[in-house]
Amino acid sequence: MRTDDNRTSSSDPTPLRLGVASRSWRLVVLALIAVLCLTGSLVGDDPWWPFGPWRMFSTSTPPTSAVTAMAIEVQTTANPSWHLERLNPWSVGLNRAEVEGRVVQIMRRPSMLGTLAISHSQLIPDAPAWNAVRLVRQETIIVDRKPTGEVRSIQLAVWRAP
Amino acid sequence: MRTQSVTTGRNRLQEWFFRPVPLARVGLLRLAVYAFVIVDVLGLHTAGWYHAYADPIWYEPLVGGSLLHLPPATLLLVQVLKWGAVFSALAALTGRWPRVTGWAVALTWSWYQYVAFSYGKVDHDRADFVLALALLPTVGLAHVKDTRLSEAAGFALRSVQLAAIATYFLSAVAKLRFGGPEWVNSATLVRAVVRRGDPFGRLFLQVPEVLHAGQWFIMGAELLSWTIFLLPERWRRLMVLGWYLFHATVYATITIAFWPHLVMMLAFLPLEQYRDRLLAWWRARRAPADDGVVAESG
Repeated sequence: MRTDDNRTSSSDPTPLRLGVASRSWRLVVLALIAVLCLTGSLVGDDPWWPFGPWRMFSTSTPPTSAVTAMAIEVQTTANPSWHLERLNPWSVGLNRAEVEGRVVQIMRRPSMLGTLAISHSQLIPDAPAWNAVRLVRQETIIVDRKPTGEVRSIQLAVWRAP
Repeated sequence: MRTQSVTTGRNRLQEWFFRPVPLARVGLLRLAVYAFVIVDVLGLHTAGWYHAYADPIWYEPLVGGSLLHLPPATLLLVQVLKWGAVFSALAALTGRWPRVTGWAVALTWSWYQYVAFSYGKVDHDRADFVLALALLPTVGLAHVKDTRLSEAAGFALRSVQLAAIATYFLSAVAKLRFGGPEWVNSATLVRAVVRRGDPFGRLFLQVPEVLHAGQWFIMGAELLSWTIFLLPERWRRLMVLGWYLFHATVYATITIAFWPHLVMMLAFLPLEQYRDRLLAWWRARRAPADDGVVAESG
C-alpha cells in the first residue's frame, strides 16, 4: 500500500536518485543513531543526552502521597523575615528542577545556596541583597489523587552571609 | 526463492526510506526549523544563557561533555553560542550553502542546549531536534519552489518523521522502565498539575478521574504511535492534527510545550501543497478587490 502523497506539479517526473554509496552512509548513520537511542532508553539516563531516555513524567506517584517541590526563602536587610523568592533562571541563573537535582549536595554544603545570592545580585543588581537563603521542601498532601489542602514546609538547608 | 524474497524485502525497505518527495517540502521545513531556532534561542529557551551567571559548582557535565572536555558556561561562551546559532540560522534561511550553514546551526544550537542541560536538568523534548538539524543539510540545495522529486529529501524527511515518532514510543518505554506498569494507575499527572498547574489545569484537580484516564490515553497513544506509518495519507494527517491537539491541551494544563518537537511533526505534512493552496486562496481573495478598484477607476 502506498501511503505517501507525493503529488507534485513538477514537469520533470524523474526523481533525483541517490547512488549506492550515498544511500549506504545515510542508512548506516541512521542505524547508529537508532542503536544509541535504544540503548539510552533501555540502560542510559539523563547524562546520555541527546541519547538518554525520554523520561519526562515517567515516574509513578502513589495516589495517596505528598507531592514535593523545592523553594527558596530569603532574608534581606529591609525584610528580615523569611519570604519566598523566585527560583528560576532569570532570578538565580538556575531553575527549580536543577536545584531539586542537587538537594543532597546542598544539604552537605549549604554554602551552595550562597552562590544563588551572588547570581541574583549579578542578574538583578538593583534588587536588595540577600543576607540569608534557605532551601525548603513544600509537600502538598494528596489522598486518592485529590489535594487535601494541607501543605507542609520543611527547611532543608540554610546559608547566612558571613 | 528465499533469496528473492529477502531481496524484495530489502528493496521495499529501501523504497520506503528513500521514497522521493519534492525538494520544496524540505525547503519549507528548513524555513520553519531555522526560523524556530532563532525564536528559541532568543526567547523560548534561554536557560543556557543564564547558566553563565550560575556558579561553576552547579556544572554537572553530561557524558558527551565529559568525552569532549566541554567547559562550564561562561558569559563569553554562551554569547558565542547564542549569536552563532542566530546568525547561522539567518544564513541558513537564505537557502545558500545549505550544508555549511545548516551544520553550523546544528553545532551551535546543540552546544547551547548542552550548556542548558548540564546544570542538573535535561529537557527531554529536544534530542530529536538535534537529529533534524544534522540531517536536513544532507539534502543540499532545496529551493522552496523546486518541485523536483528527490530521494535525499525523502530520506531526510523520513528520518525526521521516525525521530519524532520515536520520541513518543520511547517515552512509553521510559514510563514502563522508571514508573513500571503501575504508571497508568499512579498520580503522575496530578503531581504535574500540583507542581506546574495553571488555573485551567488546577480545575482538573477537582475531577482527578480525568487525569487518571488521561494517563491511560497517553500510554496507549504513545505505545501505538508507530501505527502512523501504516495509515493512509488522510488519516496520517488527522493523526498529526490529533498530536497537535494533545500538545495544546498539555500546554493549557501545565504550561509545558515541546516546541522543537512540534516543528519536527511538520515533516509529515505536504507543506508545499499547503503553501500553494494558501497562495491560491490569497490571490482569489484579492482578485475581486482588484477588479473592484479597476471598475471604480474605470
